[in-house]
Amino acid sequence: MAMSDSPVTKHGADAGEPPADASPQEQKQMEQAYAQMKRKMSIAEIGRKIKHKVMVLSGKGGVGKSTVSTGLALALAQQGLKVGILDIDITGPNVPKMMGLDGRRLHVESGRIHPAQGHLGVKVISMAFLLDNEDTPVVWRGPIKLGAIQQFIGDVEWGDLDYLIIDFPPGTSDEPLTVAQSLPDIDGMVIVTTPQDVALLDSRKSITFSESLKVPVLGVVENMSGYTINGKAPANSEVQIAGPAGKTLKTTSDAEGNFAITIDIFKQGGGKSTAEEFGVPFLGALPFDPGFVRGGDDGVHRIVSEPEGPSAIAFAAVVAALQDQIVDSDGPGLEII
Amino acid sequence: MTEEMPNLARIERRDVDVVLTYDGAAEFTVTYDDLRHACPCAKCSPMRNEDETSKTLRRQVEALPKEKPQVRTVGNYALGFEWTTGCSSGIYRFERIWDLANRRDPDNGRPYVHGAW
Ligand SMILES: Nc1ncnc2c1ncn2[C@@H]1O[C@H](COP(=O)(O)OP(=O)(O)OP(=O)(O)O)[C@@H](O)[C@H]1O
Ligand SMILES: [Mg+2]
Repeated sequence: MAMSDSPVTKHGADAGEPPADASPQEQKQMEQAYAQMKRKMSIAEIGRKIKHKVMVLSGKGGVGKSTVSTGLALALAQQGLKVGILDIDITGPNVPKMMGLDGRRLHVESGRIHPAQGHLGVKVISMAFLLDNEDTPVVWRGPIKLGAIQQFIGDVEWGDLDYLIIDFPPGTSDEPLTVAQSLPDIDGMVIVTTPQDVALLDSRKSITFSESLKVPVLGVVENMSGYTINGKAPANSEVQIAGPAGKTLKTTSDAEGNFAITIDIFKQGGGKSTAEEFGVPFLGALPFDPGFVRGGDDGVHRIVSEPEGPSAIAFAAVVAALQDQIVDSDGPGLEII
Repeated sequence: MTEEMPNLARIERRDVDVVLTYDGAAEFTVTYDDLRHACPCAKCSPMRNEDETSKTLRRQVEALPKEKPQVRTVGNYALGFEWTTGCSSGIYRFERIWDLANRRDPDNGRPYVHGAW
C-alpha cells in the first residue's frame, strides 16, 4: 500500500479556499492547521457522544485481547446497548474477521469515516479496512502510525454509543499512549492475561503502565482459564480423568449420568492473584473454548454462534463486573425502594 | 422523542408494577409485564418485530410468576432488572424507561435489526 502522510483521508477538499497569493507551502500549512483544528473539535464531539470508552490491553501477545474485545462488545450489545469497537492493531488486525466483516474496505463519505456493522449491530473500525491485502502487514514508521491513529479517532462517525471498546496490538506502549492522549475521558483499561506465569509478569507491567498513562485499571480478565469436558457416565457414579501433571481429576455424575469436569490446562487463579496483589478488580475468568478459534476462522463469534453457551455466560459475568466498575461519580442519585 | 427527558429520581417497586418519580414530581407507573415485554436484549428484541411473535413474548412474560426485581444502575445512563425467572439480560437506557412511562413504543416503531437501539 502506498503511504503518504495522510493515509486515511484528504482534508484539502473542504478546507476552504486559501488566499490566492499564498505560496503552495503556505497553503499546505494552512490546510494542515485547519484539518488539525477540525479534528480537535470532532474529537471533543466524539468524547461527548460516546458514553464509555474502554481500552483492552495485555503485556504479551496472543493472550486473547481481540477475543476479549469482541466478546465484551458483543456481550454489551446483547444487553441492547449501542457498541463500537476500534481495532488499533496495524500489523495484525483480526477484529473484522471475528466480527464477520472480513474483506471490508474503508467507507469514507464527505471526509468522514463510517464504521462497518458486524454481529449484533456492533460498529467496527479496523486498521484492516486500510489494507489492500490482509496477508501483507503494514509496516508504518512510528510517527505516521501514531498520526494515522489520531486521524482514525478524529475522523470516524460513530454516532451515539454507550460503549467504545478499543483493541490494541501487543507489546509497545505507543499506541495506548496516543489513544489516551487523543481521546478524552477514557473510563479505563481491561487487562487480559492467561494463567501462565510469563503472561502474568507482563500483565503486572501493564498495571504499572496504566499508572503512567493516568488511565485507571478497570480490572483483570483471565483468559483460557481451564477447559471443561462434558460427558456421560452411569448415573451417580464416580468419574476419573487423567489430568495434566499426572494428577487425577475426580467428579461424580448426576442422576441422569451427566458430568462436567474442568481441567486446568495452565495453572489457574493467576489473574485473580495478580489483581489482588495490585489492588485492582478481578473481572472474571473465561474458559478455554475451541469455538473461539473456529469463530476466528469462519467469522462467527462464539457469542453469536452459541449465545447461551458457557463462554457467553462467562462473558456476561465479566461484563456485569465491568459495568460495576464504570459507575460515574456524579451518578444519577436514584433512590430505589 | 424530542422533548427533554427529566431526571429519574425514585423507583418504588410494588407487587406488580413500579412507580417512577421524575424531577418536577411527575409520577408514572409501569407494570412489570410491560417492562419485561420491552426487554432490549438481543434475544427478546427481535420477538417484537412481528405482531405474532410479540404476542408470544407477551404471553411468556405474563406467565412468569409475579416478583419484585432487583434493580441496579448501570453507569449513569441505564438500569438493569434482575429477576429470578425469565430474562434479565436487557439493560434499559433511561430514554427507554421514559418512553415506557409515557406509554410510548420504546422501539419507536423500528424493527430490531441486530443489537443497538
Ligand atoms: N478462551 C479461548 N479459548 C480458546 N482459544 C482462544 C481463547 N481466547 C483466544 N483464543 C485463541 O487464541 C488466539 C489468539 O487470540 P487473540 O487474537 O484474541 O489474541 P490477541 O491477544 O488479540 O493477539 P495479538 O497479540 O496477536 O493481538 C486466537 O486463535 C484465538 O481464537
Ligand atoms: Mg489482537
